[in-house]
Amino acid sequence: MYCAETRQLSHSFSSHADALKSVNLQVPGGSIYGFLGPNGAGKTTTLRLLLGLLKIKEGEVLLFNKPLRKQRLQSLAKIGSMIESPSIYSHLTATENLAIYRELYQCSGQRIGEVLSLVGLSETGKKKAGQFSLGMKQRLGLAIALLHQPALLVLDEPTNGLDPNGIIEIRDLLKKLNEEQGISIIISSHLLSEIEKLVTHVGIISKGKMVFQGTLNELTGKQQQSSKLILETDDPGRSLEICRQLELNVISGNGKITLPVPSREKIAALNRELVNSNISVFEMSVIKKDLETIFMELINQ
Amino acid sequence: MNHYFIHTVKAEWIKKRRSFADWLVLAGGFFVPLLLIIILICFPKQLLSIHASGHFWEQVFDKAWQMMAFMLLPMGIVLAVSLVVQIEFRNNSWKQVHTSPVPFASIYFSKLLVLLVMLLQLFLLFNIGIFLAGVIPSLLNSHTSFPAYTVNHVFFLERNLHYFITSLPMVALQYMLSLKFKNFLVPIGAGLALTTGALIALSWKYIYMIPSSYTALYYLQSNNPVPPAHNLLLWSLGYFVFFSLLGYWLYVSGKEKG
Ligand SMILES: Nc1ncnc2c1ncn2[C@@H]1O[C@H](COP(=O)(O)OP(=O)(O)O)[C@@H](O)[C@H]1O
Ligand SMILES: [Mg+2]
Repeated sequence: MYCAETRQLSHSFSSHADALKSVNLQVPGGSIYGFLGPNGAGKTTTLRLLLGLLKIKEGEVLLFNKPLRKQRLQSLAKIGSMIESPSIYSHLTATENLAIYRELYQCSGQRIGEVLSLVGLSETGKKKAGQFSLGMKQRLGLAIALLHQPALLVLDEPTNGLDPNGIIEIRDLLKKLNEEQGISIIISSHLLSEIEKLVTHVGIISKGKMVFQGTLNELTGKQQQSSKLILETDDPGRSLEICRQLELNVISGNGKITLPVPSREKIAALNRELVNSNISVFEMSVIKKDLETIFMELINQ
Repeated sequence: MNHYFIHTVKAEWIKKRRSFADWLVLAGGFFVPLLLIIILICFPKQLLSIHASGHFWEQVFDKAWQMMAFMLLPMGIVLAVSLVVQIEFRNNSWKQVHTSPVPFASIYFSKLLVLLVMLLQLFLLFNIGIFLAGVIPSLLNSHTSFPAYTVNHVFFLERNLHYFITSLPMVALQYMLSLKFKNFLVPIGAGLALTTGALIALSWKYIYMIPSSYTALYYLQSNNPVPPAHNLLLWSLGYFVFFSLLGYWLYVSGKEKG
């Protein structure tokens, strides 16, 4: 069951090339979904369409399995969001800002104090939000999103402009909310490293197209697949032949031989054959790509 | 909608707290009376003639409205309405408001209601100011004393009500414009052009169709013994309803909601 889903969602802003092309976003309930892509890839556009901030031209949005058009208010009541920069009334205090949304979501006044202490803003008192640091504004935005105890949090690059400590604090908070209260979270970012430790699922978007979607394990699985075995010997020609005899696919064979990582047994067999054939082996090593490289490859393909 | 409306009105009310528009209402209410106080202190002959006229309060009221109705009130409306709507644009908060579980109608009409209440506040402050403008110079002048003349309540209530009604079209028109344009120089420029344009064209025979002239026209009508050819109050109410509904339609059908 998905708590948020788009079907063949496409969008173009007037006179521009398509910003989104048939995006099928699928966010499983209870997951922390990392929505990744470089700047301008279409993350914000997707999330704005998801929340009804942009008129849908092509495709469909479902929230909690119901079309957005039909159940807009019921769905929104269960969603907390922060899209791009936090929306904060700069002439009002943190408490007054929350008091506004307390009315709109019709929740108890007690929640204001609770979320303020949750994000560490209890001490701001009469200070106007306009005088807050960027990190404090970001946290007030998060407090607004959390005020009504939503079932789904939609956060668009929520750690933009935060210092490393702030990023870790927010990451821990989100993890806690997900584990203790089962809140589903969509969090977008242009940095894999920033959310890699947090998310359970990943969607990667590039130039308006989804180029990967799956669990974090599936993404690290791709890491396995794209690992390579490097072989360097004093006789590349005969080494290549031996590889072929063992039915190994060679990727490149000039000088160093590169091949997809074979099974452990095959590696042992290859080594045995090379030694038996009196070939000197200088190097036989597995090169693992890091996730960041895979991410870069996906968005550049 | 009713079930949401009270909450959205409360939210809108919190939003304008300490905002620039709030200060503008306060300043706008007392600006003309302050000017009048200075005039009546500096030119005691005027004060004496008002005292001698037998219609003290009516004349003070009329002098104050003369200054207010032509330029200041319409311009104040243009500025205050634009500033209230600008709160959302400037703080990038439309997206948050529009992802809250409240109907668009509820948001639109709450803001409009808050604007009307602000207009009412302005009128209240202005009337208090007019009262002070009658009292303070009279006490300071050695030839006059506290103006203890009887007050014709019906006259003042009726005039205030009529000025209020003739102000309504500009509130709705400016609200519509301000919602449409993110850059607030556009609605403010348009609003100011409309008010100054109306002043220039005040003797044009079709001026009764230009809503930005209505407070000025009403001032002229109310001081003219000849009965007016056009019912400004009806025109005002008509325009108000028209602009409010048109503005609502434009607002709801907007493609980008933050
Ligand atoms: N309001 C807009 N008008 C025109 N083009 C836009 C608008 N918003 C976004 N775009 C374009 O759509 C594309 C996707 O942008 P966006 O969704 O903001 O990317 P991301 O959030 O991934 O950085 C970009 O090419 C951007 O220039
Ligand atoms: Mg973005």
